[in-house]
Amino acid sequence: MAILLSEAFKVGGEWSLAGYADFISKPLNRTVFFRTLKLGALVVLVSAVVGYAAAFCIVNLEPAKRGRMFGLIILPLMISPVARTYAWIVILGRTGIVNNTLVGLGISDTPIRFLFTETAVFLGLLQLFMPLMIIALISSMENMPKDAIAAARVLGANWFQVFTRVILPLTREGLVLGGTLVFTGALTAYITPAILGGSKVLMLETLLYQRVNVSNDYVSAGIIATILIVMSFGANVVLRRLAKA
Amino acid sequence: MSDIAVSLKDLTLAYGDTVAVPDLNLDIHRGELIALLGPSGCGKTTTMRAIAGLMTPTAGQILIDNTDVTRVPPNKREVGLVFQSYALFPHLSGFENVAFGLRVRKTPEAEITRRVEAGLQLVGMAHLADRKPAELSGGQQQRLSLARSLVMKPKVLLLDEPLSNLDARLRLEMRTELQRLQRQTGITMVFVTHDQSEALALSDRIVLMKDGRIEQIGSPESLYNQPQSVFAADFVGYENIFAVLPSTTATPDRCTIKNPHGQLQLDYPVAADHIAWRPTGVVIGSGGHHGTVAAVAFAGQQREYVIDTDAGVIKADIDASVTPVAVGDTIRFDLPLSSARLITAQP
Amino acid sequence: MSQTWASRVILSLTLLFLIGPFFIIIFAGLSAGSTLSFPPDGLSLKWYLAVFSVESFRQSFMLSMLLAVFGTLTALLLGVPAAYAICRYKIPGAETIKLIVAAPIIVPGIIVGLALLRYLVVPLNFTVTLALFLAHTALVLPYAVRVVTATLENLRTDIEEAAILLGCTRLQAFTKAVLPNIKSGILAAFILGFVTSFNQVPVSLFLSGPGVRTLPIDMLAYMEITYDPSVAALSALLAFLSIAIVFIAEKTLGFSRYV
Repeated sequence: MAILLSEAFKVGGEWSLAGYADFISKPLNRTVFFRTLKLGALVVLVSAVVGYAAAFCIVNLEPAKRGRMFGLIILPLMISPVARTYAWIVILGRTGIVNNTLVGLGISDTPIRFLFTETAVFLGLLQLFMPLMIIALISSMENMPKDAIAAARVLGANWFQVFTRVILPLTREGLVLGGTLVFTGALTAYITPAILGGSKVLMLETLLYQRVNVSNDYVSAGIIATILIVMSFGANVVLRRLAKA
Repeated sequence: MSDIAVSLKDLTLAYGDTVAVPDLNLDIHRGELIALLGPSGCGKTTTMRAIAGLMTPTAGQILIDNTDVTRVPPNKREVGLVFQSYALFPHLSGFENVAFGLRVRKTPEAEITRRVEAGLQLVGMAHLADRKPAELSGGQQQRLSLARSLVMKPKVLLLDEPLSNLDARLRLEMRTELQRLQRQTGITMVFVTHDQSEALALSDRIVLMKDGRIEQIGSPESLYNQPQSVFAADFVGYENIFAVLPSTTATPDRCTIKNPHGQLQLDYPVAADHIAWRPTGVVIGSGGHHGTVAAVAFAGQQREYVIDTDAGVIKADIDASVTPVAVGDTIRFDLPLSSARLITAQP
Repeated sequence: MSQTWASRVILSLTLLFLIGPFFIIIFAGLSAGSTLSFPPDGLSLKWYLAVFSVESFRQSFMLSMLLAVFGTLTALLLGVPAAYAICRYKIPGAETIKLIVAAPIIVPGIIVGLALLRYLVVPLNFTVTLALFLAHTALVLPYAVRVVTATLENLRTDIEEAAILLGCTRLQAFTKAVLPNIKSGILAAFILGFVTSFNQVPVSLFLSGPGVRTLPIDMLAYMEITYDPSVAALSALLAFLSIAIVFIAEKTLGFSRYV
C-alpha cells in the first residue's frame, strides 16, 4: 500500500510533487474533492440532528421496547449496502415512487430527474450511516447520570438549556465517535455514489475507481488514495481532540 | 514430620522495580488459622499470591511441608485459594465448579461424585449443586468457592479477604463457619484481611504487616492488649497516641507528652517512647486536663466524645448511663497510667 | 402527553427512513413487468424465481459464502489469541492496537483492494481467489479482535488463576475456564464478521476478475447491464437472509450488545 501511495509522488520515475500540482489544477478533481467533503459534512450534520432526537426517544423507552428499537436501528447495518442503495433507485428513479406520485397527482408533467444528483447521493449516504450515529449517541446517553436532566429541570433550565448545557456536554464523546464513523463511512463509501451518483456526481472513491479502470492513471489513483487516507485519518485525529478538549 | 506447614525464608517480592515485600521470614504451623493483617499496600496479598505461586519471588524461598516449592508452578503446588471475588466458573454448575480440579487431575468418576458431594455437604451447599454461580447469593458463592478448594485437599488454604464481600449478618455467620471448617478438616488456613476485628475474632495467630514487613506476630489477645509499636497500637484501636518527651531533672515525677498538634502534662513519670490510650481508657468529668466537647455521638452502650484539647482531638468513650455533656461545654478529663499502653521502640 | 407524541413521530419517521426502503425493494421485486418501477406493474414471483436461474449469481453467491465463512474463521483463529494476548498480557503497543481496532477503518477498503491487486496479485501471481480471501480476512480481523476483546474484558481474570490453582496448565485454563465463557462473544464476532464480509464491496472491487466475483460486485455489474427487477428481488432475499441471521443471533446471544 505504501508503494501505491508513493506512486503519487513520482512523475516519470522521478520523485516530485508535480503530480499533485497537476491533479489540483484540474477543475473536475477540485469539484469532486469539495463535493466529497461537503456531502460528508452534511451527512454528519443531519444524522447528528436526527440522531439526537431519535436516540433521546429510544433511551427514554421502557427497557423491553428499547431493546427492540435498538435492534431495528442496527438491522439496516447488517443488510447489504447494495440492497440498501438499490432501494433508492426504486424510490427516486424515472418510474419510481416519487415520480409516479408527482406525475400521478399532476404536480409535474414529466418525471423529474432525482437519480444521479447530489441529493440522491446524500439521501443514500444518510440512510446508510445514520444508524452508526444513533447507536453511538444511544450508548453515550445511557452512560449519562440518570437524574442529570431532571436535576437541570429542577434547577430551572428549559429544554433548550437542558440540551446545550447537560445533554450535549455529557454525550460529546458519543457525538464525536458517531461523527467520525459517519464521516469516514461517507468518505469511503463506494456503492452509494456509484449507484446513485454515477459518473455525473463523482465522489473521491468513484473517481479513484474510474482513474484506475477507465484511464489506467495510477498517479491520480495514488493521489486520491493519499487524500482519502489523510482525510479520514485527519477526521479521526481532529475529532478525537475535540472529544477531549 | 515437623509442625511447620509453610515456611517463608528471606522472601523478597517485587513488581518490576517496586519492592512490595523485602526479606520476609515467617513460619506457619500445621493446622493453624493465621491472619495476614494490614492496611492496603502492606504486602499481605502479594505474600499470599507468592505462596500460591501466582507470583515469582525475586529472592528467597517458600517451603511447603518442608519441600522447597519456590520454582514449582501454581498448578503443581497443591495450594488452595479462595478469591475475594470467589472466581467461580460462570459456565459451570455448583457441582461442576467443585468437580473442576478433580476432573483436571483425571480422578475416576465415582470418586469425583463422592468427593464433590462430601465437599458440598461440608459447606452446606448440597441442595444447590445444580445452580449456576449467577443464581447464588454472595454467601453461597463463598461456600461453593470454599468447597471447590477443600475437595482438592490442599496442603494449605489461602483466603483473600474472605468476609469483605458479605453483608454484616452473613459476615458473622461465615466467620463461625470458617472456624468450624478449619476445626473439622484440620487444614492450615492463611487469610488476608485489612479488618482488625475480623482478624482478632477468627485467627489463632495474627501477622500484622506494614510496608512489606512484619510489624508484630502474636495471638489476638497479645496484639490487642500489648501492641509493640505505634502502628500496631493505632491499628488495634489505641486512638490517642502521644510521644513521650524525656523527663527533666527538675521535674522527675511528671512528664510531657506530645503529638503533632500540641503538648499535655502528665503528673506521673513515663519510661517509654510512646504512650497510648483507647477511647475507653480516657476518663472524663474529673482529672487535671480540660478541653471543649466538639462532638458527642450515642453508640448504644456508650457515648463517644470528641474533645478539643491543647494537643488536638482526644477521643473518649463513656458509659451511656452517665449524663451527657453538651457540645461546646468545657470538660475535665484524665489520662490515667493504669489504662495506658506504654510503647518502647524495639532495638 | 405531547412529549410522548413527539418522540413517537420522530422515531417513526426515522425508522421509516431507515427501514422503509426494504419494503419498497420487496414489492419492486414482486413486479410482473420487465422494468423496475414502483408501484410494480402487477404482482408476480417471477423475478424472485429468476434470481436462482442466473448462473453468475449462483457462482458469486457461492464465492461470497466461502469467502465469508473461511475469511471469518481465519480472522477468528488469528483474532481470538490476539484479543486474549491484548487483554491478559502487557504487550507493547496493546493500547495502540486497541485504538486501531476500535477506530473506524482508517484506510478505505478500495485502497486496500487496489494495493493488493497491484502488488500481490499482478507481480506475485497470486490467484484472485487467494487475494480475495486475504482481503476478507484482513477486513474481518479488526471486528473479531474488537468483539472478543470486549467480551474478555467483561470476564474476571481471577477465574484463570483459580483454574491454575486447581491444577490446570495455562492452556487448560484457557480452554476450560475462559473459552466456554466467551463462546457467545466469539459467535457474535463470527456473525458480525460474516455479514461484514458478505456485504462488503470496496475491497473486492478491483480484485474481482471475470468469473471470480463476489455477489455484491456481481449485482453491481448486473445493474449496469440490465434494469430489470431481479436485482431488487435478490436484494430483498439477501435482506431477508440478514434479518433472519440477526434475529436469531439477537434471540440467542443478545447480539446487539456486541455491535
